[in-house]
Amino acid sequence: MPKHDEGRRAFLVGTAVAGAAATTALVPGARAQTNSQNMPMQGDVMAPAMGGGHGAFFNDDDARTIKAFAERLMPGAPGKPGATDADVLNYIDLALSGSYTDQQEFYRHGLAQLDAHCLATYGKEFRNLSAAQQDETIAALEHGKTKAFSWPSAQAFFNIVHKHTMEGMFSDPVYGGNKNFSGWILVGFPGAQMQFTEQDMLSKEAFTREPIVGMQAALKSKRG
Amino acid sequence: MTIEKTDVVIVGVGAAGGILAAELGKAGIKVIGLERGPRLKTVDFEAHDELRFFQRQDLRPDPKRMPVTWRPNPGATAHPIPSQNNGNEAGGGTVHYGALSWRFHEDDFRVRSATMERYGKATLPEDSSVIDWPLSYKDLEPYYERAEYELGVSGKAGNLKGQKFEGGNVFEAPRQREYPLKPLLIDQVGVNFTGAAKKLGLHPFSSPHAIVSEPYNDRPGCTYCGFCQAFGCHVGAKSSILVTKLPEADATGNFKLITGAMCYRVNSDNSGKVTGVSYYGPGGDDNTIEAEIVILSPFIYDNVRLLLLSKTEKFPNGLANSSGHLGRHIMAHIGARAFAAFDDRHVNVYMGPSAQKNSIDDYNADNFDHTNLGFIRGAQISAGPAGLEGGPLGTAMSMTPPPGVPRWGAAFRDFYAKYYTRHTALTGQTENLPYPDQMIDLDPHVRDAWGLPAPRMTYDWRRPNERARVEFIQGKMVQIGQAMGAPLVWTAPFGPGSPGAHHQGGTRMGSNPKESVVNKYSQSWDIPNLFIMGSSTHPTMSGFNPTLTIQALAYMTADAIVNRYRKNPGSLL
Repeated sequence: MPKHDEGRRAFLVGTAVAGAAATTALVPGARAQTNSQNMPMQGDVMAPAMGGGHGAFFNDDDARTIKAFAERLMPGAPGKPGATDADVLNYIDLALSGSYTDQQEFYRHGLAQLDAHCLATYGKEFRNLSAAQQDETIAALEHGKTKAFSWPSAQAFFNIVHKHTMEGMFSDPVYGGNKNFSGWILVGFPGAQMQFTEQDMLSKEAFTREPIVGMQAALKSKRG
Repeated sequence: MTIEKTDVVIVGVGAAGGILAAELGKAGIKVIGLERGPRLKTVDFEAHDELRFFQRQDLRPDPKRMPVTWRPNPGATAHPIPSQNNGNEAGGGTVHYGALSWRFHEDDFRVRSATMERYGKATLPEDSSVIDWPLSYKDLEPYYERAEYELGVSGKAGNLKGQKFEGGNVFEAPRQREYPLKPLLIDQVGVNFTGAAKKLGLHPFSSPHAIVSEPYNDRPGCTYCGFCQAFGCHVGAKSSILVTKLPEADATGNFKLITGAMCYRVNSDNSGKVTGVSYYGPGGDDNTIEAEIVILSPFIYDNVRLLLLSKTEKFPNGLANSSGHLGRHIMAHIGARAFAAFDDRHVNVYMGPSAQKNSIDDYNADNFDHTNLGFIRGAQISAGPAGLEGGPLGTAMSMTPPPGVPRWGAAFRDFYAKYYTRHTALTGQTENLPYPDQMIDLDPHVRDAWGLPAPRMTYDWRRPNERARVEFIQGKMVQIGQAMGAPLVWTAPFGPGSPGAHHQGGTRMGSNPKESVVNKYSQSWDIPNLFIMGSSTHPTMSGFNPTLTIQALAYMTADAIVNRYRKNPGSLL
């Protein structure tokens, strides 16, 4: 893990508490339950990255926008963890204050243009639209059918948020997303296994042998 | 500023440079290797981190610090390509590669002659620059064998001294010796691919990998973890230069590696010889190495760029460029892709050696009749993950959803949740012919972190022969997907003509100094103490991955330097 992100995560332990209650309240019980049932080892490993979801880069309004945007890209449903369950917002927030600091302006401009577009079209910011309106807006960005964007272009902004949402869903939890391995559980990926056997390789069944292995857990078990 | 003296300086210690460092060092020759990246260890690869190694490409050049630009034609503006295939550390691309280790076919070395003999001259595209290699498969075979045994390659012979063996590649050129290691284990993707190919009357086999299937030379066998292509191997089972030739070079006592060293010029004198190189050290310090022999073995971009940057009054068009062919005839594999998804079985594509697990060679090279097809040559077709590694992030970024499934939203989520473990990609690694206007020069607008002009590619593969070839290959892949019994088979659209994997050419070898840059020993025609190694020397590319051929050529050059050049410096011909 890059040291930069590590520092940010430590910083978050102190600052994320304020937002914790609100974020947790938005997670439907069914989803939270699905994840925790499948997560024998999360415990203290993930504690620093949990809870707030932002604070390293995004302000509250922009955090709500990105959280809503990511959730429309990868929506959660009972038994199917989505971007909010995976805490994609937390991943992007940490990345923009760490490895992706060079993309801060891209996000600032992109978010401002997104709000301008939504205000002109619906009279509300993206974060305050209905899910259907948000989907309509995202589709317009994806296909470059919005006038409010210059730099970044609507398509470039869509592509980056889409890419970062996938990263937050499926990268190792040490980066602050894929919370409780929710992205990996969604698709049936067993994580950073160090070995597969001949029988594993030939199997036509889903690989369900526990535990799912993340990098911190792998290192912990190795170092006792 | 320091000035050091040595017998040989090697710029870029990867697939070729690492072999030369070890072999020259063993012969008692003092070697300094320059490497712009770090030297990592097996222990550095314990983190199975898809974000860092696949997505953020931590083992490859940072495109912001080391941009390579591309434009489809001279009228267009060139922009940096988002990712580069080559490595950025000691061991080069062999650290993160998928480790496919092929010998080229006999006709891969004589595409021009073989095509004309079988189909007539008119079948060669008029604007192409296809030439024969200046050496034959037979010339290179002993070095292929040496590379396979010294490095450690797993596979099964399909043609042993002319006798064909099912289960190996029956189309391969005849080999004198079986692979040193048995093939890697087959996975469920391979089972499906092999069954389908056989049903179609084709000849599937386990792709040869430079990954040891069992303990070999004090290295453990593959664990099939799947964090393979794009990653360093966490047990050292991948036969990268890092764990094979560099320890050998160290043991000679004649090799010194300088990391963080960015070579910016090859120095030459008025006698027409090169005298050494200059490089920036990790702190930006400016240093010079004086050497009897200069060996350039970075990736093709820096081979071309360094020669262009090193121009003098005596060599006004760049070093080794009296022919005017420096930077021209570049090629890249054209990627044809299809996908097959199952309802009744999981195939768990993320397991095992990730890249190009199992292959067919029936539609590669001239292994099939091209009469009236409208194109020559073909592709190696294989099964494996969409992104060549099978993690859920790489797959999400690399897989094109089937028609009717969007890239996002509940429908994408449900598709991906169901099929991630139930799908495989099929890849047609399609040969690209050389054309003189497919080229690399210096970008007048973009500079790298050292202030040097970026290499600029001008390239667009979308010509009639290439299109016809890749469309034919895609059709074959769809047939294989259907023969697997997959209810869902679809293809990915072809890209915008940008160069795909395995860039080759730029300093091509030939028999004629007027139409090539180096001779068959990768020795400059113009400057006999300058050797230019790697896939930039390939005059044609084959549908196979290039690394084992790069390595065999490096062994051949090492032998020529040790046994002949040292006694009698000058042209090896």
